[in-house]
Amino acid sequence: MKKTAIICSFNTIKSKRIADIILKNLGEDKAELVNAEELTAEKFLSYEKAILSTPTWFYGELPNYWDEFMPAIEDEDLSGHTYMIYGLGDQKKYPWNFVDAIGVMAEFLEERGATLAGFVQNEGYNFKESKALRPDGMFYGLPLDDDNEAEKTDERLNKWLAQ
Amino acid sequence: MDYAKKYSIKSTDKELLKQWYLLMVTGRKLDDRAPNYLKQSLGWSYHAPYAGHDGIQLAIGQVFEKNEDHLFPYYRDMLTTLSAGLTPEEIILNGISKASDPASGGRHMSNHFAKPEINIHNVSSCTGNHASQAAGTARAIKIYHAKGVVFSSQGESSVSEGYVYEAINGASNEKLPVVFVFQDNGYGISVPKEDQTANPKVADNFSGFKNLEIIHCNGKDVFDSMNAMETAKEIAQKEQRPVIVHANCVRIGSHSNSDRHELYRDDYERNYVKEYDPLAKFRRILLRYNRFTEEELVALEEEATATVKAAHKKAMAAPHPTPESIFDFVLPEAYKGEKYPNGTEGKGETKRLIQALNETLKAEFRNNPDTYLWGQDIANKDKGGIFNVSKGMQQEFGKERVFNAPIAEDYIMATANGMSRYDKKIRVVVEGAEFADYFWPAMEQLVDSSHDYWRSNGAFSPNITVRLASGGYIGGGLYHSQNIEGALASLPGIRIVYPSFADDAAGLLRTSMRSEGITIFMEPKALYNDPKAEAGVPEDYEVPFGKAKVRREGKDLTIITWGNTSHMSLEAAEKIKAETGKEVEVIDLRSLAPLDEEAIMESVKKTSKVLVVHEDNVFGGFGGEVAALISDKAFQYLDGPVQRVGATNTPVGFNRILEKAILPNTEKIYQAALNLLNY
Repeated sequence: MKKTAIICSFNTIKSKRIADIILKNLGEDKAELVNAEELTAEKFLSYEKAILSTPTWFYGELPNYWDEFMPAIEDEDLSGHTYMIYGLGDQKKYPWNFVDAIGVMAEFLEERGATLAGFVQNEGYNFKESKALRPDGMFYGLPLDDDNEAEKTDERLNKWLAQ
Repeated sequence: MDYAKKYSIKSTDKELLKQWYLLMVTGRKLDDRAPNYLKQSLGWSYHAPYAGHDGIQLAIGQVFEKNEDHLFPYYRDMLTTLSAGLTPEEIILNGISKASDPASGGRHMSNHFAKPEINIHNVSSCTGNHASQAAGTARAIKIYHAKGVVFSSQGESSVSEGYVYEAINGASNEKLPVVFVFQDNGYGISVPKEDQTANPKVADNFSGFKNLEIIHCNGKDVFDSMNAMETAKEIAQKEQRPVIVHANCVRIGSHSNSDRHELYRDDYERNYVKEYDPLAKFRRILLRYNRFTEEELVALEEEATATVKAAHKKAMAAPHPTPESIFDFVLPEAYKGEKYPNGTEGKGETKRLIQALNETLKAEFRNNPDTYLWGQDIANKDKGGIFNVSKGMQQEFGKERVFNAPIAEDYIMATANGMSRYDKKIRVVVEGAEFADYFWPAMEQLVDSSHDYWRSNGAFSPNITVRLASGGYIGGGLYHSQNIEGALASLPGIRIVYPSFADDAAGLLRTSMRSEGITIFMEPKALYNDPKAEAGVPEDYEVPFGKAKVRREGKDLTIITWGNTSHMSLEAAEKIKAETGKEVEVIDLRSLAPLDEEAIMESVKKTSKVLVVHEDNVFGGFGGEVAALISDKAFQYLDGPVQRVGATNTPVGFNRILEKAILPNTEKIYQAALNLLNY
């Protein structure tokens, strides 16, 4: 069985910590960490399943390492690939753009035929607007807010991984 | 809204990418070097670095079509203007304020880049006040069925300004082809966005406006910015309606070189924004997607270095402006009539002041198809202005030339400025406000417009006649009685006229409407229908600026006056003659700026006693200037102190008893004149 990739920037601290927890939870026999800073299209496409770490930068943007990578796969057909997304955001400082990057990534992947999994109910979060919300009101992925609700992170993560 | 992704790293033509990279590198070298000029005391004391706005600034300049579109940049738009057509040398010439700076010849502040000859406009330093000027230019584009669009570039903090709201409201209402670009770096100097407005997506404050499209883009990203700006321009041009492009940027440096952002931004934030350097990102992807080799990029960077060096050398060698030039371009040449060179000749049918104004407006509109009139209450069925001065004009000249303005005085003035920018032949008449008393909200636009001709080194003059119903004596109280000429007279770059008779009203209005420049045309509203102000108005009457009129000859005392008090002064003079036999000369200045010094001096020499009479407050009123002038230049001819009669230093009370106690009248003038005669 092919491993699940956990793709995250190794230059980050909080996002990488989450990636490490996910790896531990899934087990190294079933998953492996991939550095988003060095990602290639070939590497990305080699996984049928991947968990993507997309923290939100500024007012609702993808980090550079994702933004600069996207053109490499913009012409690919991603059907047959399944992705789960988690992302760190800040409900208090950026309530109008809360975890937008999850939504930006989700939309990009869906437009290319990918299957998304790991949707999350929006209860328990306090924000104004988010591109990460699906039409049914669920989040496309797992929002985490270590700046304001660090104590809830592990519980949210465990619940998500248990899906 | 979503927009087409025409440009991307993989699909964009290599030559175009090369051109963009060269512009971006050149711009950044200029941006980085600018503070060095200040350190070496060579100028550029105001520099607002643009680093972090690279994507959107490149894009604004790239979609701008010289000589067809119009660009109103702001003080951070170095790359915008470079991308739009300024050369590196022209950027430096502005930075170090040389005489050949195409923006202003060294007159305007550094980092205020412009080149009016290709429609990159010279604008103020008041943040965002060009937004409504841009709406005015867009109105002209629409009226003249031209192809271009107008770009108003500004920081996100500018939307805290009321006049930006007026601009977008007006553009939305009039469906004007203008693209407002908000370059959002999260700060107004040190004030964070959350202290400015509740909505961090500031453009969404305008989401309820009709006819307006709002586009959000990543202003740090070249491709996203290009796609957003092309879409915006297409909508504005094809659908003739306004668009806001809200571009998220970062400010890598301080606000300007007098700001220290380390005082309010921590290390984490400063490093965070630096990490997202748009230029570094663009370079990385050019390499990552094999569009350029490292060697090719280095070659372009070397080319940029050489270009900037050469530009620096040329700019350093360019001459500074001379001290003698300071009086150039304060005001453009006024229209010079030939038929009535002094504005005292000829005879004509007797008319009331309101009739003289109405007929002159109509005559000039027939004479010049490029004249326009707007203001509050200016045209609705049979109503033509608050006092019906413009009655019948919309019926005769149509809604495109004569129309109502929103109750937004600043917008009224600003769009007059903007329309003037479109074509020199355009003449605008505005009713600046319902009453002169309500003109104050437009003051920032008037002050700014008063700078334009001088600030652009003669390249642009707003050609506007600002009609203001002025003065009291109608029981109007604090807000229907004000005289504001004293406050306005301190502004160089405007003319102020204040007729008191029908003939002068007609002649000065005609001259104003035929002249370049701004004329404040004060109308004594109490005299509109008063038989006292009736006069014979000669055919096509013209009164030159700066020519006073002796309304009554005398040898014992001179009264210098204008507006409502001209009539009171004449009555007082007659009373003195009847009671004492003394002859009082009454000079109606008609024109305060320029001032007829010669007529004043001539009369002082003749009578040796001067009483200055005006309706405005004595304290701070224009009479103080007249009195000081006489003291300076004619003291030796005086046989008594120059005295003044005017309103008390209070507002004008509403109760008629209060009004009478406050405003000057015939009796007060008579007493003052008598006292001076007996001095």
